Amino acid sequence: MKMRLTATHIILTVLAFVVVLIWLLPFYWAVSVSLRPPSMTFTCKGLCFPYLQFPPTLEHWKTELSSREMLRALLNSSIIAFTASFFTLVLGTPAAYALARFRFSPRLVVIFAFVFCAILAFTAASFGVDWRLALLAAFVIFLGFAMTLGNRFEKRLGNEDITLWFLSQRFLPPIVTVVPFLLIMSQFKLIDTRLALILVNITFNLPFAIVIMRQAFIDLPIELEEAAMVDGASFFGSFYRVALRLTAPVMAATLMIILAFCWNELLFALNLGTLKAKTIPALLAGSASTRGIQFWFVAVRALIALIPPTILALLAQRYIVRGLTFGAVKG
Amino acid sequence: MRWNSPLKYVFLLPTVIWVLCFTMFPLLYSLRLSFFRVNIGQKDIFIGLENFARAFKDPNVWNAAKVTLTFVLVGVSIQLVLGLLFALLFNRALPGRNVLRTIMTLPLFATPIGVGYMFITIFHEEGGFIRASLGAKIPWLSNPNWAMVSVILVDVWNWTPFVFIVLLAALQSIPEEYYEAARLESSSQWELFRYITFPILQPSIILVLILRMSEAFKVFDIPFSLTSGGPGIATETFSMLTFNTYRRFFDFGYGSALAYLLLIAVAIIVTSFFGRIRQAYT
Repeated sequence: MKMRLTATHIILTVLAFVVVLIWLLPFYWAVSVSLRPPSMTFTCKGLCFPYLQFPPTLEHWKTELSSREMLRALLNSSIIAFTASFFTLVLGTPAAYALARFRFSPRLVVIFAFVFCAILAFTAASFGVDWRLALLAAFVIFLGFAMTLGNRFEKRLGNEDITLWFLSQRFLPPIVTVVPFLLIMSQFKLIDTRLALILVNITFNLPFAIVIMRQAFIDLPIELEEAAMVDGASFFGSFYRVALRLTAPVMAATLMIILAFCWNELLFALNLGTLKAKTIPALLAGSASTRGIQFWFVAVRALIALIPPTILALLAQRYIVRGLTFGAVKG
Repeated sequence: MRWNSPLKYVFLLPTVIWVLCFTMFPLLYSLRLSFFRVNIGQKDIFIGLENFARAFKDPNVWNAAKVTLTFVLVGVSIQLVLGLLFALLFNRALPGRNVLRTIMTLPLFATPIGVGYMFITIFHEEGGFIRASLGAKIPWLSNPNWAMVSVILVDVWNWTPFVFIVLLAALQSIPEEYYEAARLESSSQWELFRYITFPILQPSIILVLILRMSEAFKVFDIPFSLTSGGPGIATETFSMLTFNTYRRFFDFGYGSALAYLLLIAVAIIVTSFFGRIRQAYT
C-alpha cells in the first residue's frame, strides 16, 4: 500500500489515533487515581496529569501490596493459575494429538446406550437406590446393549464430532455447574482449598487446550513424524521429540492464554475459595462491600488484578486471534 | 503404519474420563436438582417441573431475561459495527500500525472484575473521569437506564477489540489483486466493499457473532463489579439472578432450574449456527 498524503488519509489517521487514545483512557485514569494523594481524589479537574496537577504518591500501592490478604490472594492466584494451566496442557495435549493423528470411529448406538445407561443409573440413585447397585446394574445393561445392538447399526462418529463435543463445553454457562461442584467438593472436604479451584480451572480450560492444540498438530506435516519413525523412533519418541518440539511456540502461547483465563476466573473462586483459597478476583469482589467505594483503593486493586493478564496478552500477541477464536482464525 | 496402534486410547481416554466426571456428571446432577426442592439438611423432595413453572411466573426472571437480552442485542451489535469500522480504519497505511493494534488488544485478557472496578473510577458521579474532565453530570450508576448504558459501554470497551482484530486479520488476508481487478469494472468504494470485502468477511463476522453472543449471555463479572445488579435489579443479568438464588436464599433446586433455562438459551443460539461452527472447527 502506498502512503498518500491526501486530506482523507490524514483525517483517517488522526481518527485511528483518537480511537486508540479512547481505548487507553480507562487505564490511564485508573493509574492517575491510584497515584493521587487522598485529598485530591475528588477535587482534581481536567486530565489530572501526575506532577503537573498533583504530586504523585506511591503510598496507596505500598499499603495495598503490604496487606496480608492481598499477598495471600496473589500467592493463591499464582499457584492456582500455574498449576491448573500446566495440568490442562499435560492432559489436553496428548488428547489433541490423538484427535489430530489417529482415527476414532465410535459407533453412535454405543454412545447412545452409554448415555442412556448413565441417566438410568443416575435417576435410580437420585430416587434412593444405592448408587453402587445402580452403577453396577447400568454397567451390565450397557454391556448387554453393546454386545447385541452394537454391531447392528453402522452409523459412526468421527474425530470431528469428538472435537466438537469438547468444544461445546466451552459454550456451557459455568453457572450451571456451580452447585454440583459445591456439593462434590464439600463431599471430598475440598471447600476453600486451592486444589478445588485447580480442578475447576482445569475442567474449564481443557476443551480450549484440546481444540487449539489439535489444530496446531494438524498444521504440522505428518511426514516429519513418519520420517522419525522410519529412523527408528518409537511412537512416543516421535510424539515427544518431533511433534511436541515443533508445536512448542503454540503450546507456550496456549499456556499463557490459559494462565490469563485462570487468573480471571471469578464465579467459582467466589463459591469455592471463601477464605484460605481466596484469589485476586474473589478478593476484589469483596472490596466494595467491606470498604465502601474508596477511590484510590478501587483503582489500585483493579490495576493489580489487570496487570498480569495484560502482560500475558502482550507476550502471546501473535496468537491472540487464534486463541480467542479457539483456533478458527489464524490471525 | 503405526497410525492405528491401540495406544491412541491411552492418549484420548484420560480427557474423556475427566470430562465425564467433571462436566457431564455435574450437568446431570444439576438437571436432577432442578426437579427437586432442596433444603440443606433435609431429604430432597421430587416436585417435577414445579421449579420451571415457578420461574415462568417470577417477575425477577422476566426482568433478568429482559436485561440479558438487551445487553446481548445492543452490546453485541455495537461491538460488531464498531469492530468492523475500526478494522476498515486500520487496514490501511498507518504510521505505527502494529503498535496501535497491540494497544487495542490490551482489554482482551483484562480481568473482567478488574475492568468493572476500573470503570467505577470513570463513571463515579463525583470524581469520575466523565465528571472531573468532561464536566458532564450523569447519574451513571444510580439511574436504572444509565446503569444499563454503563454496563453495555464497559462491555463495548472490553470486546470491540476482539471483533476488530479478528476482522482485521480477515481483511488482511484479501489479496490486493481482487480490488485491482474490480476497479476495472467499477470505482465506487461502496461497490468494492459490498461485492468483495463484505462477502469475504462474512464467515468471520458470523463466527465472531456466535462467540460474542454465547459469551454475552453468560455475563456475570462486569455487572457484578460495576453495579452489583443495581440500582434495584435494573442490571441483574440471568447469571447474576441464578447466583443470588444460590447464595442468598440457598435455593439450590430453583437455582438449578434457572441455570438450565440459561443453558437452553445458549444451546439454541449455538445449535442454530451449528453449520458454521462445524465448518470453522473441523
